[in-house]
Amino acid sequence: MIMSKTVIGILGAGALLASVPWLGLPAFYESFLYLLCHWMILALSWNILSGYSGYFSFGHGAFFGIGMYTSAGLSANLNWPFLWTLPVAALLAALLGVGLGAVVFRVKSVRGELFALLTLAVTFVVGTIVLNTRIDGGPGIYLNAVAIPALGPTASSSIYLMALIGAVATLLISYRIQSSRLGLGLFAIHDDEDVAEVMGVPTFRYKLLAFGISCALAGLAGGIHALFVSYVTAGETFTIVVPLTVVLMSVLGGTRHWAGPAVGAVAITCLMYFFTAGNNPIAGKAAVGVILVLVILFMPNGILGYLLKRTAGKRSVPPVPVPAAAALEPAAPVSTGKVLLDVRELSKAFRGVQALDGVTLQVHEGEILGLLGPNGSGKSTFINVVSGHFPATGGQMFFEGRQLAGLEAHSIAQAGIARTYQIPRPFAHLTVLQNVSLVAMFGGAALNQAQATAEAWKWLAFTGLQDKADALPDDLNLHQRKFLELTRALAARPRLVLLDEVLSGLTPGEINEAIALIRKIRDRGATIVFVEHVMRAVMALADRVAVLNHGKLIAVGPAQDVMKNADVVSAYLGTPHA
Amino acid sequence: MLEVNNILVNYGAAPALWGVTLQVQPGELVCVVGPNGAGKTTLINAIAGLHRVREGSLHFNGRDITQLASHRFCEAGIAIVPEGRRLFTQMTVLDNLELGSFIPKAKAHRQASLEQVLSLFPALKVKLDSPAGALSGGQQQMVAIGRALMARPGLLLLDEPSLGLAPSIVLDMFRAIRQINAQGTSVLLVEQNVAMAMEIASRAYVMEEGRMVAEGQASELLTRPEIQKAYLGLEAHD
Amino acid sequence: MSFPSFNLLAQSVLSGIFIGGLYGLIGLGLGLTWGLLRQINLAHFGLVFLAAYMSYHMATVWHVDPLLTLLILPPLFFLFGVGMQWVLSRFAISPFNSLLVTFGITVVMESIIQAIWTADFRRLETHYNDQKFTVGSLYVPVPELVTLVIAVSLSLLIWAAMRYTDLGKALRAMAEDGAIASAFGINQKGMSLMLAGICAALAAVAGICLALTFTLTPSQIFAWVGVVFAAVMLGGLGSALGPLVAGIIIGVSEAITMAVAAPSWAPIVSFSLLIVMLLFRPGKL
Repeated sequence: MIMSKTVIGILGAGALLASVPWLGLPAFYESFLYLLCHWMILALSWNILSGYSGYFSFGHGAFFGIGMYTSAGLSANLNWPFLWTLPVAALLAALLGVGLGAVVFRVKSVRGELFALLTLAVTFVVGTIVLNTRIDGGPGIYLNAVAIPALGPTASSSIYLMALIGAVATLLISYRIQSSRLGLGLFAIHDDEDVAEVMGVPTFRYKLLAFGISCALAGLAGGIHALFVSYVTAGETFTIVVPLTVVLMSVLGGTRHWAGPAVGAVAITCLMYFFTAGNNPIAGKAAVGVILVLVILFMPNGILGYLLKRTAGKRSVPPVPVPAAAALEPAAPVSTGKVLLDVRELSKAFRGVQALDGVTLQVHEGEILGLLGPNGSGKSTFINVVSGHFPATGGQMFFEGRQLAGLEAHSIAQAGIARTYQIPRPFAHLTVLQNVSLVAMFGGAALNQAQATAEAWKWLAFTGLQDKADALPDDLNLHQRKFLELTRALAARPRLVLLDEVLSGLTPGEINEAIALIRKIRDRGATIVFVEHVMRAVMALADRVAVLNHGKLIAVGPAQDVMKNADVVSAYLGTPHA
Repeated sequence: MLEVNNILVNYGAAPALWGVTLQVQPGELVCVVGPNGAGKTTLINAIAGLHRVREGSLHFNGRDITQLASHRFCEAGIAIVPEGRRLFTQMTVLDNLELGSFIPKAKAHRQASLEQVLSLFPALKVKLDSPAGALSGGQQQMVAIGRALMARPGLLLLDEPSLGLAPSIVLDMFRAIRQINAQGTSVLLVEQNVAMAMEIASRAYVMEEGRMVAEGQASELLTRPEIQKAYLGLEAHD
Repeated sequence: MSFPSFNLLAQSVLSGIFIGGLYGLIGLGLGLTWGLLRQINLAHFGLVFLAAYMSYHMATVWHVDPLLTLLILPPLFFLFGVGMQWVLSRFAISPFNSLLVTFGITVVMESIIQAIWTADFRRLETHYNDQKFTVGSLYVPVPELVTLVIAVSLSLLIWAAMRYTDLGKALRAMAEDGAIASAFGINQKGMSLMLAGICAALAAVAGICLALTFTLTPSQIFAWVGVVFAAVMLGGLGSALGPLVAGIIIGVSEAITMAVAAPSWAPIVSFSLLIVMLLFRPGKL
């Protein structure tokens, strides 16, 4: 583990706070600090799945509760030494989370609010089961007789120290994840899960991993809390309170930053204390509600997000010097005629509409193939099916001899196929540089983080976007966003590039630039299939042209010949009523 | 009747239409053709009030409607048959038609309008209670046109009505459009199927990459080199 | 676990129907805004309780017949709903953030309620309370019956309005394709405000019924959230009759579970149903 400044800072602060029990302060301080640590663990752990990936869970209470009951049950009823119950608590919570995730994450439509509700429902179901079976059975569990591990001079300080260790660990985990591949993948899932999958991110695996870690930490917090409250009841545990508070803290602090939830936890805990200790606890509660409303309305990125935006100005530093386009490895153009993509009788039907109807086509290595046809003829569907965005309903696809049908989209990406989207779909909250380096990491090239960033810079220079590296996609104009799509596709070092109407919406001058760029891409060894309507581009670039109409392939061959084909002319211009 | 002057329309942050100018005289049937991505749908949507016009102006019956709120365009006399039909699929055919005459001045004539639509498209009579989403492509197109007619518009906008329809149905469709125009409604038609469009239109405009590149009488436009080049990428050979 | 008598079971089913009616009544407004406006309005629960307390106050302190409050509170709440929607629509809020913002508003409402009426249990004591009549060997308490009747009539009324009136159809069209609806003259902004007002008025009605049948305490606001959400999701977002039917199904299954097993098992039925629905047919019934 790299000992970065942040890590040292966290450990240092932790060590400092660990000395509190020996300072001879009144027990109140330890309790207060305990609560801070307790909420920090809960909010940070929640954020690992929900903040980073956007799968807002309302079920944190369930896993927290499982942890609580595991520790309570094992230590009070089965006389386990308390410290040993904690890993079990974390493990059981993680198992439930992973089990739930394995089922739910496969269902495409359960996202957003639906996921929130499902996890809330799980909380109540688990709570009911716990209440009605031997786990609790009604009266709750007393922990007064449990021996408290002697970590500190007093009982309350020992509990505090356990929570402190938990908080430090959670902070470190949160930080490490955010700056890792997993974190970047989760952020991509947050912005556009389907595109992330197509770009090579193993979305199912990552969601499961994040959920498991999140639940484990919640379980840990629960286990410690059992000892703190020393009397555990189902009614108090499996409620909506924990999830709502945790959401509130994270959103307040900022869900995209590893420390955001911690900031929010500290802020809310202090606010609640300050208000409830005062003369008017009710006014205090109201004030917290008002603050939440104002923060969401005016600072949707949370406190930390707002502050960071204000102080932003530091630009990413490109590796010195910015490699010129010529510095890219020498090109290895291939034009061997070998078949790269072999599509046989490919069909795709959507609810009643036959978008692709038995298309058989071969794409040769090193060629530029134009895919044409009037609106609605199936061109985009073809790209969507080959790249794995949609599953085919019939036929077969072979890439370099390998069967593509049935592979998950991220595996297809890793096999060496990349695509652009007709309407650009960049990851809105990631910078241009991050958008590109993500693909370099997860796509066919499979580079590590440092290499991916360097690779991203090279490609940004190649397409001329290097000055926009720190910009967010929203700040780019259409031309630049299209080129970003292109850069993203290239960063994976694909063998086959599928371009979906890259030129539409560009000015004539921009189109010329793009044509030159596409030629350069082929010269570097990629094979290109492109869907286009700008005819002069097709004429200028394509070696061969394939024309679709109503989902069927009606002509394929050299461009000039095909465009004079009578069927093609009537497909485009329509047949006059004789 | 309709005057579009030099409009600039953006799609997202970037311009989609530059300096587009066109007119439709009362009673005319004008069509706009061009390859995909030329901006035809953006143009129609701007005229229907679905898209903000950045620069330039829109005048309808002498009135400047450039800054009018979207939901007021229907009252002004413009109705649209959008690309892809965009029916209210969860509602019945009858509901869709009735919604077409939501505005007060159309509601007053609802029954009469409904009879006119059904006489134009008799096949819909038995489908009135079916959910609009359950109909075939051709039938849905009929409902979409009918819905727009229920608004009793002075100008009817049609965006690629032949899209995705079988050729025989396309013939019926264009026959109906010609009839609607003959009954007095001005029509602005955007079409990919150039040959069909030129048969029923009196005048035509050709668009490419967000600009007007040619205009003239429909009958002679089909032979012009601009069309060959725009659609098929073929430079004039001789 | 002895199987209860037929009489007990029938009485349970009946009380399940009654409480299900209340679930449906509360869920009616919630489901409409969720389905038609894409807003998850937790403040709906705050409004329900606020109306409940206000009706309690008017009846207990000012001696206004509770059923008369039905004429006073809904129009007042209509205005409040329009106002709230007007303010919120000035910010572009995602559906999830609407959940958080309205949660904040609910917390504020809960505090206001607690400040005015304290956390003590409040029970609306009226001459209706003890009125009940018997059907065979079953007891039918009047307040619960009134609630059910109101729930069914309102649901049917709204369903009919959505189905047969121009405004109702316009709302549904707007929810499906706002841009095209606007192209045919439907004013989205105005419609949203009106709908928000109506749903707030519905919340008021639900609150009055709540006051008639339950003991009130501010912390109870959140206890209803789970089960009403379940009813709305099972019944279908934007549906008028769905939440009522789903609410009754949930109520009855809860009641039977309570009679046959222990009362504390009740929540498992509704929430398990919800989970199953979410996994296999999300948002539809």
